[in-house]
Amino acid sequence: MNGAVGNVVIRVAGLVTRFGTQVVHDGLDLEVRSGEVLAIVGGSGSGKSVLLRTILGLNRAAAGRIEIFGRDTARLPEAERRAIERRIGVLFQQGALFSSLTVAENVAVPLKEHTELPDALIAEIVELKVAMSGLPPDACAKYPSELSGGMKKRAGLARALALDPEILCLDEPTAGLDPIGAAAFDALIAGLRSALGLTVIMVTHDLDSLYAIADRIAVLVNGRLVTGTLAEMERMTDPWIHEYFHGPRARAAVAAGA
Amino acid sequence: MAASAGWLSTAEQDGSLRLNAGGRWETAALAELDAALRRIAPAPGRAVRIDLGGLTHLDTAGAWVIHRTVRELRAKGIAASLDNAAPAHAALIEAIARNDRPGLPGRKRPNPLVALLDHWGRAFVGGLAEVGGLLSFLGLATITALRALAQPGRIRIVPLFSHIEHTGLTALPIIGLLSFLIGVVLAYQGADQLRRFGAEIFTVNLVGVSMLREMGILLAAIIVAGRSGSAFTAQIGTMQVNEEIDAMRTLGLDPIEVLVLPRVIALVIVLPLLAVYSDLMGLLGGALMSWAVLDISLVQFMERLRGAVPVWSFWVGLIKAPVFGLLIALVGCRQGLEVEGSAESVGRQTTRAVVISIFLVIVTDAVFSIFFSAVGV
Repeated sequence: MNGAVGNVVIRVAGLVTRFGTQVVHDGLDLEVRSGEVLAIVGGSGSGKSVLLRTILGLNRAAAGRIEIFGRDTARLPEAERRAIERRIGVLFQQGALFSSLTVAENVAVPLKEHTELPDALIAEIVELKVAMSGLPPDACAKYPSELSGGMKKRAGLARALALDPEILCLDEPTAGLDPIGAAAFDALIAGLRSALGLTVIMVTHDLDSLYAIADRIAVLVNGRLVTGTLAEMERMTDPWIHEYFHGPRARAAVAAGA
Repeated sequence: MAASAGWLSTAEQDGSLRLNAGGRWETAALAELDAALRRIAPAPGRAVRIDLGGLTHLDTAGAWVIHRTVRELRAKGIAASLDNAAPAHAALIEAIARNDRPGLPGRKRPNPLVALLDHWGRAFVGGLAEVGGLLSFLGLATITALRALAQPGRIRIVPLFSHIEHTGLTALPIIGLLSFLIGVVLAYQGADQLRRFGAEIFTVNLVGVSMLREMGILLAAIIVAGRSGSAFTAQIGTMQVNEEIDAMRTLGLDPIEVLVLPRVIALVIVLPLLAVYSDLMGLLGGALMSWAVLDISLVQFMERLRGAVPVWSFWVGLIKAPVFGLLIALVGCRQGLEVEGSAESVGRQTTRAVVISIFLVIVTDAVFSIFFSAVGV
């Protein structure tokens, strides 16, 4: 299932994050390679989403270094930072659509802000991205409040893909979806990844997603990451990781994947 | 990323039109390439061959314009083909083609005059519906209140006092300050005008009558509408978004009885008290200003006030207070229950609640004025 996995696009070294006296990440290291699907898993409150937000620059790290495309993000001038942000698409947990805009207008926002394209072409690209995200054509004119949870995520995905990012970050992409919807979303991500050559980082709880699309898995335990393939994870002796990959739900996911 | 590194050239070859595409065909640099592709119009019967051999980068938007060009040429009966595409580029164009589907017909913009009439019509009908909705809500609240009166145990005392505290007690500083300042302004402006006729002493009449009959209660009502009416909408609306109201219904609790009734009763009790307080502070401001600019001592002010301003003026102001309290609470609670789905809706309904309740307060005040002048007080 591997695509062409290449050089390192994101490198996190010695990351420390704190909220007050509570240490969330304690010297955490991570490398993400171009073209792979990396899943970040961990217990509730272990700081998975915080890690994603810190990489995206939405949280400030107490210490450590985050490089994206080989550039240290903490030291970049504003303009270069913006240029790098444009190469990363983010799908937030609830979709985070702008509630006062229709789906089509939501997807058009990055295109209108960051390109000089004529309106007719933007409208065509928007329709294309909406189609690629698996939404029906009549979803374009709807407002976020008129969409179901799964459709909101697909619309959020269409917006994240608007500028053809190289890296796609997904925060709990299948949370809150029914199993059929979740499987369809996994297939959608896998399809987009192979069609567009995306690098995907996803925070997830969903074992089925792990078995379906992840190339590598990073488990967050005690403020640090343990990284490896599924096969390596299943051999780990850490009690939490062992429980995670050998619990009843994991066995069910393995059985389903086999 | 070099922004302008994509290019397109045309050449005639073997009786067909040959397009050579090269460089980076990416979203950021596509405006000119898109325009160039849209201009292509080969003579009828001539084939078009698009050579993609020179492409170094292709993203979905670039693949889209190539795919669209081929599709549109073919739709016109022109043979079009793609040559020399790198496997990855061919795969991407293939993936784009799978996601191409006939778009929905664009929405037509209506005639502006029709749109204006449409807008007015909707606003008018919406206004009527609002009045109807408010009246039926009043009915619902009245029935619930009567039922609660029959079993007084069902009136919730603790929330009632909590609402009285939050709408009344905590509003004292702001209402006191504003009424005081309005009293000062009335006295100052009145004194300035009346002095020209040597009638400075009538400043007391001016301040007394306008404060007691109109300004005191109006100020209190408008501040309460902005402070507490909006808070009612936001509180009930947030509960609506969290499905708390639905949860209440499933638990056998009547939201009107639990949420609306304590708020309505609280404002009906609180607003008259605030009106009296507002009257007092306004008169105090007027008296201090009269003393400062007209040398009317506080004792003189009080005597003049007693002589010049009938006690009815006070009652005229006070009678209106419970009605305004009822209106503000009903509008606030009703807009809260109208909230649907999203946090954005809470904001919209809160704005509506404030606008509607202030509007109704002033209209009702005008109706009271007509009534009082008809009965001659």
